[in-house]
Amino acid sequence: MSASARLALLVLALLLGTGAARAIETHRFPAPGSAAVTLSLHAATDIAAMRPLIEDFQATRPDVAIVYTEYVTAELFERMRVACEGAGGVDLVLSSSVDQLLKLVNDGCAEKLGLATTGLPRWTRWRDELFGFTFEPAVIVYNRDAVRPEDVRRTRAELIDLLRADPERYAGRIGTYDVTSSGIGYLFSAYDARAGAVFGRVMEALGRARVVLSCCTTDILDALAAGRLAIGYNLLGSYAVAAVRAGAPLRVVIPRDYTLVLSRAIFVPKRAPHAEAARAFVAYLLSARGQARARETSFAFGFDGNTVPEADGPALPPASAILRPIEISPELLAIQDRAKRARLLGDWRSAVGAPVDAGAR
Amino acid sequence: MIASGGLSLYRRVTGLVAAVMAVTGIGLGVVAASYARGAADDAYDRLMVAAALQIAESVYTQDGRLLADPPFSAFETLALAPDDRVFYAVAGPDGAVLTGYDDLPGAVRVDPAGAGSAVGNGTFRGVPVRVAAARRYIPDAATPGWVRVALAQTNEARGALARDLTVKALALLAVMMLLGFLAALVAVRLALAPLARVERTMCERDPKDLAPLAIETPREIGALVGAINGFTTRLSRHQAVLQRFVAEASHQIRTPLAALSSQVEMLAWSETGTGPEAEERRARLTRIRARTRELARLTNQLLDHAMVSHRIESVPFSPVDLSELGRQVLRDAASSAVGSLSAPPDLDLAFEGPEAPVMVLGDAISLREALGNLVGNALKHGARARLEIAVRDLGGVGEIAVIDDGPGIPPEDRERVTRPFEGGPGRGERGEGAQKGAGLGLSIASDVVAAHGGRLAFVTLADGRFAVTLTIPAAAAPARAA
Amino acid sequence: MRILVVEDTTEVAESIVEGFRRIGHNVDWAQDGLTAEEILATQIYDLVVLDLNLPGRDGPALLKDYRGRGGTSPVLVLTARGAVDDRVRVLDLGADDYLVKPFDFRELEARARALLRRSAGEATNALVCGDVAIDRQARSVSVAGHPVEMTRRELMLLEILAARPGRVFSKDELLDRLFGLDESPSFNAVEQYVARVRRKLGASEVQIRTLRGLGYQLNPGQPNPGQPKPL
Repeated sequence: MSASARLALLVLALLLGTGAARAIETHRFPAPGSAAVTLSLHAATDIAAMRPLIEDFQATRPDVAIVYTEYVTAELFERMRVACEGAGGVDLVLSSSVDQLLKLVNDGCAEKLGLATTGLPRWTRWRDELFGFTFEPAVIVYNRDAVRPEDVRRTRAELIDLLRADPERYAGRIGTYDVTSSGIGYLFSAYDARAGAVFGRVMEALGRARVVLSCCTTDILDALAAGRLAIGYNLLGSYAVAAVRAGAPLRVVIPRDYTLVLSRAIFVPKRAPHAEAARAFVAYLLSARGQARARETSFAFGFDGNTVPEADGPALPPASAILRPIEISPELLAIQDRAKRARLLGDWRSAVGAPVDAGAR
Repeated sequence: MIASGGLSLYRRVTGLVAAVMAVTGIGLGVVAASYARGAADDAYDRLMVAAALQIAESVYTQDGRLLADPPFSAFETLALAPDDRVFYAVAGPDGAVLTGYDDLPGAVRVDPAGAGSAVGNGTFRGVPVRVAAARRYIPDAATPGWVRVALAQTNEARGALARDLTVKALALLAVMMLLGFLAALVAVRLALAPLARVERTMCERDPKDLAPLAIETPREIGALVGAINGFTTRLSRHQAVLQRFVAEASHQIRTPLAALSSQVEMLAWSETGTGPEAEERRARLTRIRARTRELARLTNQLLDHAMVSHRIESVPFSPVDLSELGRQVLRDAASSAVGSLSAPPDLDLAFEGPEAPVMVLGDAISLREALGNLVGNALKHGARARLEIAVRDLGGVGEIAVIDDGPGIPPEDRERVTRPFEGGPGRGERGEGAQKGAGLGLSIASDVVAAHGGRLAFVTLADGRFAVTLTIPAAAAPARAA
Repeated sequence: MRILVVEDTTEVAESIVEGFRRIGHNVDWAQDGLTAEEILATQIYDLVVLDLNLPGRDGPALLKDYRGRGGTSPVLVLTARGAVDDRVRVLDLGADDYLVKPFDFRELEARARALLRRSAGEATNALVCGDVAIDRQARSVSVAGHPVEMTRRELMLLEILAARPGRVFSKDELLDRLFGLDESPSFNAVEQYVARVRRKLGASEVQIRTLRGLGYQLNPGQPNPGQPKPL
């Protein structure tokens, strides 16, 4: 298998976007020992990223079989809204769209787990019900071939200057999420907007450079790897690093002015059929063993904020001034507010202009 | 009779203090809990009202349409209660929910009319919640009117805060109550200290000391000390009265008895007639005279006994030198013996004792009387040629012995003769029935020695002489001189 | 011999007076303290029998005054009080002996006899005790009428003992009275003088008795056979 084919597979596998076309897939992880319980895990995260963790968990709990049902985030959200009303038969819900998960938990969907004293930062958990377990910075990605090293910019202001100085050079070669279709994109842009006025100018500069919008991280990384795009903005760092590791000619830059950090989260719904085993799985993800395994296999960054060789940027220790975690707290309800969403999308549209689908090229 | 089985005063008072403090503590605890609840409510209510007002402020119109944009800051404010669920709704003048939870306005009824904001309690989706409501007038909407914001939050943080405040208040309360209780214990001890002082003073004083207590006492127990003093004063007066009575009675009995016996003597002297009738009269007179003498002697001894008994119960003891006492008694005896009827002529009197004084604690006069009685007995009934008083220091006890060369008292009679009126004819008889009352002398000596915490004993010495010994506890070491 | 009876109880006084007269004494009777005081101021008696409870002037006060004025006649006290400390007090006040009422008349006679034998002729310079007569002025002694030679100190010792027959004088007391402050007699000087005086008294009925541990005492001896027998 060629490197690009592997990359395509991986990126496909890691897809997180809210692409409406994505169908529900089911994966079965039989118990290594004699099965006592079968956990039903509903996730909006690709199976390839979770597989190593699931298998490592089963090494500690050979009696647990897991049925992994994969959704796109919006579908998972809708599915769970319904499930929460009655008995859904779901044991675990896992997604990167933490605003959606928080809304579900706020509506009384989750069970308390008694895991409030883990080593992870306070902002990763809420009500002892919803737990973030990954540390995923939003990064800027450059194609090494398409962007001269001296053009690599490490703050948003510098990026704006680059685009202003020579608007035509990168016109049509910058990609980012279409926030109307990407949950991650919406979440990042909303927090960018909250972080300061600079984001408005970024949007404006991107719009002037005829930014290419895409539903999904995969598509953007794919286009970057292929050289169709030169710069990708606000992409999930863990996926970008995975692409670099898979051989893509990409330079991953962690912004030095401020860095948004997302924590993928999981909860156990009320009336979960196998609450004990489900809790054990969450506990595993939060444990030192689970964290180490996640960094080795799927999610390159850790909560200590240490630098990663494949990424260009500062360390992000908990006390870092530039660290902007997307806190799992009632603040996320603002993101989920329908009126706010409507306004943010309106603002975004007017700044960026008409969306262009990168995949359409 | 003292009911000493009752609860101690100390325990009773401390028990009462503990009970009062416990009741007060429970009451204060309830108040503290309620206050903490109020304080927590107040703190979080302010946050909720602030958040509600911020959301209300975010409502704007665009092209005549009413739009809402709940700010992050409002949710940040609410996130100060980190783990509480938040529900909100923004409703336009027509009641249509612009954003948030559509079912919230119908579920909670807190009316912000008037003040612009209000708080209350409610239940939303089966969960008890605190509700804050705010309103804002929007003049430039298509239909101008009040926008209402309803905000509901679960009670976990405020409950935790209330619990925390309560626990801290209770801890403080407990510490203060404990300190208060300890202070009360100390105070009670201090308050009871004068009682202990009275007790100590009473215990330390000589039982015969009936002077009023002269100690500083607080007003509260002044009555007690007064009662004790009143009692001792009455006792003392009663004793004095009794003493006067005995002395008076003694005098009143002695004088006519002396007159009677004198007249009987005279009658006997004047009966000089002859013939059978005169003989018979003389015989009767002799009997009357004998009886009168007996009566006189008996009366004397009884009164002596009474006086001595009374005295040793009421006179405080002081150090007495047994050697000096022995010499004195022997000198008195020597003087009397010269003219005494009963003493044998040419009696050899001797004193044996150490040069150093032999100090005992006692009443010198009673002891002298007791010893005098022993010497008198020996002179009358015992000594033939020799009478000796010997004093020894036995270490802790002083011993004084009256030793004669007479026949002594048979062992079987020794115990009996120290009892009143049982002197009996135990010793060598001289004169007519004179020994009838001899036992009173021994009985008096025995009583006196017993009152001194000592002992009377009869000993037959190795050389055959007979000794009556008195052993008396020594005077305490001079170091303890008060 | 002259005896003064001071006694307010007539019945008692009568019998004492009668009893003493019967054995040949010359007896006066004072019924109250004041009278007794007047009589004692002018008269000398060989014996005073004194009741302590008297109208007019109290017995103890009377006794104290009498001794205070230098009266040396033997005093036999009669008391009806009988409290233990009273007796001690009476002796301390200067009484020579005491009897508690009611008394046995024979005891009274015996005690009186003993005291009468001690009686010294106060009016003269003669000190008579039993068959021993001391002439203080002539500094001479006679036993049963026969003169006996004595040194100054021997006479002084006999005088001291005979002035209070029956009284026990301790060795220390005699030492003090026989020797001046500037003299330093040997420890057994008193014993030596007593031995010499004893030897010189010879067959006299008067004896000097040694009371071991106490001292010395002059014993007037047995009554003269010529005197009337008591009843």
